[in-house]
Amino acid sequence: MIAIDIQQPLAHFTLEVSCSLKAPVTAVVGASGSGKTSLLEAIAGLREATRGRITIDDAVLLDSDRGFSLPPEKRRVGYVPQEIALFPHLRARDNILFARRDHDRLMSLAQMLELVPLLDRYPSSLSGGERQRVALARALMAQPRVLLLDEPLAAIDQPLRERILVHLRRIRDQERLPMIYVTHQPFEALALATYCIVLREGRVIGQGRPDDVLRDPQIGATTDVDNVFEVSDPHHDRENGITRVKTSDGGTLVLPFDLVADATFPLVVRISGEEIVVFGKRPESVSSRNVLEGVVSDVRVYEGRADVTITAPMPVRVRLTRSAVEELQIAPGRRVWLALRSRSFRLIG
Amino acid sequence: MSEVGLLLVSLKIAAGSTVLIVLPALALAAWSWRRSGWWRAIVDSIAMLPLILPPTAVGFVLLVLLGRRSVIGGMLERIGATILFTQTAAVIAAAVMSFPLMFVMFRAAIDSTDPRYFQIARTLGASPLRAFMRVTLPLAWRGIVAGVILAYCRAIGEFGATAMIAGNIPGRTQTLALAIYQRVEAGREDDARILVVYVVLLALTSLIASEVLIGRHRKKTA
Repeated sequence: MIAIDIQQPLAHFTLEVSCSLKAPVTAVVGASGSGKTSLLEAIAGLREATRGRITIDDAVLLDSDRGFSLPPEKRRVGYVPQEIALFPHLRARDNILFARRDHDRLMSLAQMLELVPLLDRYPSSLSGGERQRVALARALMAQPRVLLLDEPLAAIDQPLRERILVHLRRIRDQERLPMIYVTHQPFEALALATYCIVLREGRVIGQGRPDDVLRDPQIGATTDVDNVFEVSDPHHDRENGITRVKTSDGGTLVLPFDLVADATFPLVVRISGEEIVVFGKRPESVSSRNVLEGVVSDVRVYEGRADVTITAPMPVRVRLTRSAVEELQIAPGRRVWLALRSRSFRLIG
Repeated sequence: MSEVGLLLVSLKIAAGSTVLIVLPALALAAWSWRRSGWWRAIVDSIAMLPLILPPTAVGFVLLVLLGRRSVIGGMLERIGATILFTQTAAVIAAAVMSFPLMFVMFRAAIDSTDPRYFQIARTLGASPLRAFMRVTLPLAWRGIVAGVILAYCRAIGEFGATAMIAGNIPGRTQTLALAIYQRVEAGREDDARILVVYVVLLALTSLIASEVLIGRHRKKTA
C-alpha cells in the first residue's frame, strides 16, 4: 500500500494530497497545471520542499516531522517522466542496464516490451513509443517498489504501431508492480486503472473507482462516455473491408480493415458512448457491423441525459437522452440491442 | 636558450598546471551547479578572482604565501623543499591564473546539460556522484575538453604572476612569454618575433580546436 499525506508549495497554489493507494494501477487525472507531475516528483524525492509523510508498505520515504527524507536513489521508485529523458549518450541497452547490469533481466524485459531489435540503437534514432518502452524497461531494471508514469501516451505520434497501453497492461499483469499513472485523458485512466484520483489546483477533489469518479458530475472530470477495449486475435477480411477481433472480456467486435491492417495485436480501441445506438428490439438490416445483444446493468440519470451501462457481454456505456430512456423503458434487467459503427472506433495504443 | 627549448619548458609548465587544476575545477563546478544563492555567488566569485585581478597582485599574494616567513613556506623549508623561483613555482602561478577560465568553462558546460537526466539517474539508484560521473559529465564532455584547452592556452601565455614567483631563469623557469619580454628588453626584436609566431600558432590551433568542440556541444545540447 502506498500512503501519501503531503503538502508541496508550488508557484500558484499548495499541492495537498492525502490518499492510500492499494490498487494495482492508480490513475491521477487532472487538467494541465493541477499538480499531477509535482505529486509524482514528490513521491520520487525530486522536490526538496515537500512536507508530510510518504510510505510504501513498511518503507518510509518521507517523514518531514522527524526531519527524514530518503534520497531519490534509495527510494526505489521507478519514474518515467513525460519527456522520457533517456540518456542520449547511451544506447538503449545501456540505458536499460544503467541501474543494474543484469543481462538475463535485460533480455526478459526486452522480450516483454518488444525491444530486442532496438537494443543497440541510440535514443535519437527511436520513435516516441520506442523511447517510452526503453524508459519503462530502464525503470523496471531498478527493481522499483512502484512505477510512476507521467502522461505515457503524450510523446506518442503513431498509436497504431506503439501500443503503449498494451505494454503497460503487460507490466501490470506480469510484473505485479503498483503503478501511478498521471494523465489528463480520462479514457486512458479507464483503460488501465482500477483506482482514480482527480486533482484540481493541487487538491484531491475525488477518488475511487475510475468509472464512478470520472463520471461523477459533481467532480466534473469528464463528461465523456468512453468505452475502451483491448482487442486481439484478428481475422482480416480484406475484400469486405472488415476485421473481426476478440475483446479481453470475451466479446467479438468488427473493426474497419484499413484501421487495423498494419497494427500489431493486441491493441486498445475506443468508442464513444455517444456514437452507439440502442434498440428495444433486434434490429434488421442495419449498416453498423456490430450489433450486440445485452442486458442493462446500470442507469444513471442526469439533467436531460442518462448514462447507461449494458453487459454485452463486455460492459458497454451509452449516453442517451431522457426521452429515449423513457420511450425504450431502459432500466436494469432490460434486454436491448446495440449498434456500434465500426468506423466509430479509434485506436489509442 | 634555443626556441625549441623554450617551447618545451612552456609546454611542460602549462601541462603541469592544467593537470593540477582539472580535478579541483571540476569538483568546484559540480558543487556550484548543485547550489544556488549566496554561497554559490561568493565561492564562484572567489574562484574567478584571478581572472580580473592584476597578475602581479596574484603573484604578490603567492609570493607571500609561499615565502619563507609564511606558514606554508616555513613548513616547506623544514623539509628542505623550496618552491619559489623553481619550475614548480611557475606551474603554481600558471595554475592559479588559468583556474578561473577552466572553472567558468566547466560550469557553463555542466549548466548546459539538462538536470532532468541527473534526477532520473538518481531515481535509478545512482548516488549524486555516480549520476554526475555517468550522466552529466559525459553529456558535458565537449565543453569540458574545451575548458581544458583554453586553460592550457592561458597557462602558456601566463606572464605576470610567473615573473613574480618563478623569476625568469633560462632553461628552468623562462617560458615563451617571459623570453619575449626579455628579448624585447635586450633589443633583440628579430628573436622575439620568432617566439611571437610560435605563441600565435600554438594558441590559434588550440583555440580553433576548442571552438570546434564548443560549437558541436552547442549543437548537441540545442
